[in-house]
Amino acid sequence: MKCFLAKQFNLLDFAFSSLWRRRLKNGAVLLVFAGVIFLVASFHLATTALTATAERLLASAPDIVIQNMAAGRQESVPLAYEQELGGLFGIKKVVPRIWGYYFDEIRGANFTVLGVDPARMPLGEHLGQTLAVGVFPGAGVSGEGAAAGNAQVGTATGDGAAEPVDQVAAGVAPAVLGSLVSASLEVGKGDYFSLFRPDLSLKTFAVSGLFRADGDLLSGDLIALHLDEARDLFQIPSHLATDLCVYVYNPAEINNMARRIAEALPDTRVLTREQIQRTYQAVFGWRSGFAAVLLLAALAAFVILAWDKASGLSPEERREVAILKIVGWETPDVLALRCWEALLVAGFAFLLGVIGAWIHVVYFDAGLFRPVMVGWSVIHPGFALVPRIEAQDVLLLFSLTVLPYLAATVIPTWRCASVPAEDAL
Amino acid sequence: MMLVELERVNKIYNKGKANEVWALRDADLRVGEGEMVCLRGPSGSGKSTLLAIIGCVFPPSSGRAAIARRQLARLPDRFLTIHRRQTIGFIFQRFNLLPALSVRDNITLPLLPLGVSPSECRRRAGVLLERLGIAHRENFPVRMLSGGEQQRVAIARALINDQPLVLADEPTAHLDSALSREFMAIMADLKAAGKTIIVTSHDPLVAEHPVIDRVVEVHDGRVLPAAAGPPAGDSSVTDHGCHGVSGHGVPQDGVPGDRLHSPSSVGGGG
Ligand SMILES: Nc1ncnc2c1ncn2[C@@H]1O[C@H](COP(=O)(O)OP(=O)(O)OP(=O)(O)O)[C@@H](O)[C@H]1O
Ligand SMILES: [Mg+2]
Repeated sequence: MKCFLAKQFNLLDFAFSSLWRRRLKNGAVLLVFAGVIFLVASFHLATTALTATAERLLASAPDIVIQNMAAGRQESVPLAYEQELGGLFGIKKVVPRIWGYYFDEIRGANFTVLGVDPARMPLGEHLGQTLAVGVFPGAGVSGEGAAAGNAQVGTATGDGAAEPVDQVAAGVAPAVLGSLVSASLEVGKGDYFSLFRPDLSLKTFAVSGLFRADGDLLSGDLIALHLDEARDLFQIPSHLATDLCVYVYNPAEINNMARRIAEALPDTRVLTREQIQRTYQAVFGWRSGFAAVLLLAALAAFVILAWDKASGLSPEERREVAILKIVGWETPDVLALRCWEALLVAGFAFLLGVIGAWIHVVYFDAGLFRPVMVGWSVIHPGFALVPRIEAQDVLLLFSLTVLPYLAATVIPTWRCASVPAEDAL
Repeated sequence: MMLVELERVNKIYNKGKANEVWALRDADLRVGEGEMVCLRGPSGSGKSTLLAIIGCVFPPSSGRAAIARRQLARLPDRFLTIHRRQTIGFIFQRFNLLPALSVRDNITLPLLPLGVSPSECRRRAGVLLERLGIAHRENFPVRMLSGGEQQRVAIARALINDQPLVLADEPTAHLDSALSREFMAIMADLKAAGKTIIVTSHDPLVAEHPVIDRVVEVHDGRVLPAAAGPPAGDSSVTDHGCHGVSGHGVPQDGVPGDRLHSPSSVGGGG
């Protein structure tokens, strides 16, 4: 055993020095290899970050969304539908939402405006958790920053939440902004800003809170308002809403409920959370996309080898193997040497690629993929990514890149080393 | 004690193919421990092939070959390798060094798979380099060395594991006469240290050197009978009739036990 370790140490040492001797060639292989792994790992980290965020945010989405359809387009929903649903057994809550897009002509930015009545939402605390600082308009809940006691912008229409309102001027509505909005409007918590109503009169808001950056995927371009303020901004009549959110008692009944709602309200489109989630996954196409990219990477790794090794060993390499054998190296020793060499190159390239990808995704927000992601783009291109690294993904990546390289390096040597060395004499 | 015993050894390259070469035919050779033998013969006569079989580089196509009391034919490839590195130091005609490696790394190459520690490798290499007078070149890449220096590296590598049998194929082919004489002086030292040495050479400077105990003539793949064994009484009768590889049924035994430690010199017999 001691002898085995001492031998492996010797072989490793020798592998280092022979790599160093051919540092130009090995450096080139290393760079190409690291580049491939960098691309795959970046892509993977970016997509897992996106899907993780999307899934987390969708978890707080309503069980069922009811949209009113007219001529195949989405129209406002009459609030009267709420009453019709009241009769269905198993519905916990029906909450109207008003949302739409606001185009800021001065900055050329498009914002998503969402109005809800948090007091009526069953997921009040959840909303609070999405905030970095401040409070959600109308909810008695606050983000982490607010818990630290620095959020005192009052709620305008809270139902009994004893928040002081005296710091907000009359007629000013509280709003929670996504990071892109606050950056674009250049406002922070406590600042004021104004948006135009359709009749071009101005409505003024006070920033009561900011969404957390890791939710940027969905909330980056979001202006969250109280339902009534959103209604006022978009000038939507009081008997209409954009859609209705339905919460049910039994999650297992969601599909069943959706079917019954669709029967009760035949002119509506009824979407379950699962369907919405599926839409997102289709948008990312991430599973198939990732698989495709991985396969491509494996292919690329093989191309490197094809270029490097598959032509068989060069005459010098053949001679080297023969010389090692005639000075008393056994075939497994020669193979172990080549394994160490390949492991050093591939392992180092792997490390380099994965670390580079992490930096690329976390610090540069996957800048190289920005064009691709804009293409996907229900999503605003400027989100912040918070990737997760999972052991099994790293293993998969490792086995699809490093192992083929190892095999392709060792097999030609094995073929060469197992023939008698007499040719070199 | 016999270190090398070859009996009716045949070697056929590319057997069964169009380019089949019968390099050795019924070759007999015995070399005792501590002996120094020169294999001599015209080019293409099979000297290198004979030496390669003695050196356990490959087993003979047929016949009995025992090196240090091990039957080569019975050894699987792996054990052939292990046996070779324990028993034989081979100095190749073209040295077979790795040109990009330093002198020391070339010399310690055989020690790496044995798990010898780096410090011990350095120590052993240092001793040999000192003895061969190339200590000042220890860290030079071999490709920068002169032919004579390269050969000394090859000698050092052949001796690093302190093997009892040293083989040298045309050791002076690339050397001028001064270096050739130096080589023979090194060999004389080795012989004095108790090594058994077999060299092949056309060079009279080698064959007629006083340190050579015996010259063995090789012609056309055959070892001339007069030179086949060390003691003159040993009549290894070789049948010169043309028979096939598998045609010899009777193993030649009856080699008497009175192996002399003073082998008879058959100087320059040819
Ligand atoms: N690997 C090989 N494959 C085929 N034929 C070979 C091989 N090696 C040697 N031979 C042939 O075997 C015969 C003996 O070769 P060998 O090298 O043993 O001769 P040699 O006496 O050493 O010659 P030289 O003095 O030129 O070195 C030659 O005819 C040679 O062409
Ligand atoms: Mg020869």
